[in-house]
Amino acid sequence: MQLEQAPSIRTTIVRRLAPSYAAMGRFGLILVMLLMMAVLTILQPAYFLTRENLTNIARQISSNSILALGEFAVIVTAGIDLSVGSVMGLSMIVLALAVHADWAAGMAVAVALLAGLGVGLVNGLALTRLHLPHPFIATLATLNIARGATYLLSGGVPISGLPPIVRMWGADDITLLGGTSFPIDFPISFLIVIALYLAMWVLLTKTSTGRHIYAIGGSPKAAQYAGINIPRNLALVYVLSGGLAGIAGILLAGRVNSGYPTAGTGAELDAIAAVIIGGASFFGGRGTAGGVFIGAIIMGLLRNGLNLMNVSVFWQQVMLGFIILLAVYLDVLRRRAMRLES
Amino acid sequence: MMARRITGIVTALLVVLALLTPGISEGAAKYTILLSMKGPGSGNPFWAAVERGARDTAKAMGVNLVVLAPPAETDVQAQIAQIEDQIAKRVNAIVVAPTDVSALNTTFDKARAQKIPVLFVDTDGTWRSKLTFIGTDNRAGGVMGGQFLCGAFKGKGDVAIITGVMTTQSIRSRVEGARAAMAKCGLHVVAELPANSDRALGQQAMEDILTSKPAVKGIFAANDLMALGAAEAVKARGKAGKVLIVGFDAIPEAAQAILSGTMAASVAQSPYNMGKFGVQNALRALTKKSVAKRIDTGTVLVTKKNAAQYAK
Repeated sequence: MQLEQAPSIRTTIVRRLAPSYAAMGRFGLILVMLLMMAVLTILQPAYFLTRENLTNIARQISSNSILALGEFAVIVTAGIDLSVGSVMGLSMIVLALAVHADWAAGMAVAVALLAGLGVGLVNGLALTRLHLPHPFIATLATLNIARGATYLLSGGVPISGLPPIVRMWGADDITLLGGTSFPIDFPISFLIVIALYLAMWVLLTKTSTGRHIYAIGGSPKAAQYAGINIPRNLALVYVLSGGLAGIAGILLAGRVNSGYPTAGTGAELDAIAAVIIGGASFFGGRGTAGGVFIGAIIMGLLRNGLNLMNVSVFWQQVMLGFIILLAVYLDVLRRRAMRLES
Repeated sequence: MMARRITGIVTALLVVLALLTPGISEGAAKYTILLSMKGPGSGNPFWAAVERGARDTAKAMGVNLVVLAPPAETDVQAQIAQIEDQIAKRVNAIVVAPTDVSALNTTFDKARAQKIPVLFVDTDGTWRSKLTFIGTDNRAGGVMGGQFLCGAFKGKGDVAIITGVMTTQSIRSRVEGARAAMAKCGLHVVAELPANSDRALGQQAMEDILTSKPAVKGIFAANDLMALGAAEAVKARGKAGKVLIVGFDAIPEAAQAILSGTMAASVAQSPYNMGKFGVQNALRALTKKSVAKRIDTGTVLVTKKNAAQYAK
């Protein structure tokens, strides 16, 4: 008796609360972000809201947010790209080597980007041409190949010293509103992040390619019957992911003025975490670029805030885990609410 | 209601963390010094000793000490972020064991712009404006370990080297020193396998050496974690005591292994002195006293004779 009754009462309660759940889902992430900022402002009043600290955060999250953007495109198709961290390291070393071989700066940047696009293409083709059963496998392979290549190319030692024109993208600030009375020094790397997110948003929501990518993730069968070229679109998202990892490497190399072979070790997990916190579904077809952006910011705020409070990295890892749980729980609530509404 | 619940969860988590934070309750000391290590003290006894040396000294001299470290010795970005965030908080001096010899240079430039002195401990960096480097002469330590094997085998026979994270200068210097010393006295270095300074990988590398080069009778491992892993592999093959294993760092567990005979020797650094000299010299710099460009913390060969004092 009780067993039969319980769900119905529960359903009524959930139904009554459904609208607020849905709102929570939509604005919950922004709320979590604002709340974190508020708490950090209260706990670290002298430091958190300083311009120096805010530009620090912007620079610190640049490479992870770009990796997360590529990872997001892949996860929308229900795939996964484990190679992004290694590709970032490879791109850094390729850039540094090219610069030290006296290549023109533009060529060096281009070849670093090509390295990223190339690994991405290998991932895409391994999935669509070699028909490897799951992208986990192909990208796990390229994770190791790219990391090994990075050590081989660099001989295991950092290659330091990049020209200012290369460094600028990751290290310098640009003065916005220069003529006005409110000049703002803005990190160039974060402007690039914003531009890339806008471009991805346009691609995914305003073009037929974008709709196809979502469709493939939502239901590959339906996409196939609708005549969508699945292999081409899948290859494209992996190329995008690789290329973005290449850009992340170029920015990070500029920031540290060096290519070092351990760069990006484990970075794929941070990228995946940002995507998941940002509300994308592992089962594909859902998520927005804006959500992933906030996901990356939340991770950056957490690290920065805990660093300011001198908290050990182990607590930072524990907290990051809780944030992931919280974000996904929010999403579960929202989906339940949406099912009840319809 | 939902909003309140989530607000509650996040606030509770942050408040709990704030309470856990040791730095919050710092007194009104005049100077705050940042000790940024490569790895957390709770992960490796070596860093624990550096931290202890720094904390004891900071307490005795009445300065605030903030100790931070990235989760893994390869996580350069995390260390950069931690140091940047502390520069934003205006620490007075930075004592750092860098995770990469040059990738943090731009971060140190930021410290310099704020007139914050930077002292390197344990691992030297390429940054030109550093105040000093306080650490072990790793090459001399490697030579010391190599010469021990030379003496034990009278300069004849096959030996192997298990290397650590080869991007790290200290590890490279140790391996170079050991290799040079062993080649000079006539030993044959027949294998040089990487094990990432990790215990399980050290064990694996040793298993491979025992299989592919059964004549090997001596091992130099670039740190004790790998040496202990290697000792485990040797024990599993029933060759305990027949293959002499020399490690580096003389961590307590290695000293116990030396006492029990599964390891032959280790080269002790003095991590406690690194923390101690680091804080002492940071304070000297802050009070405008002179600081030497290179401060050696010394090495000691640890064998059965003197292992007892390192075993606790």
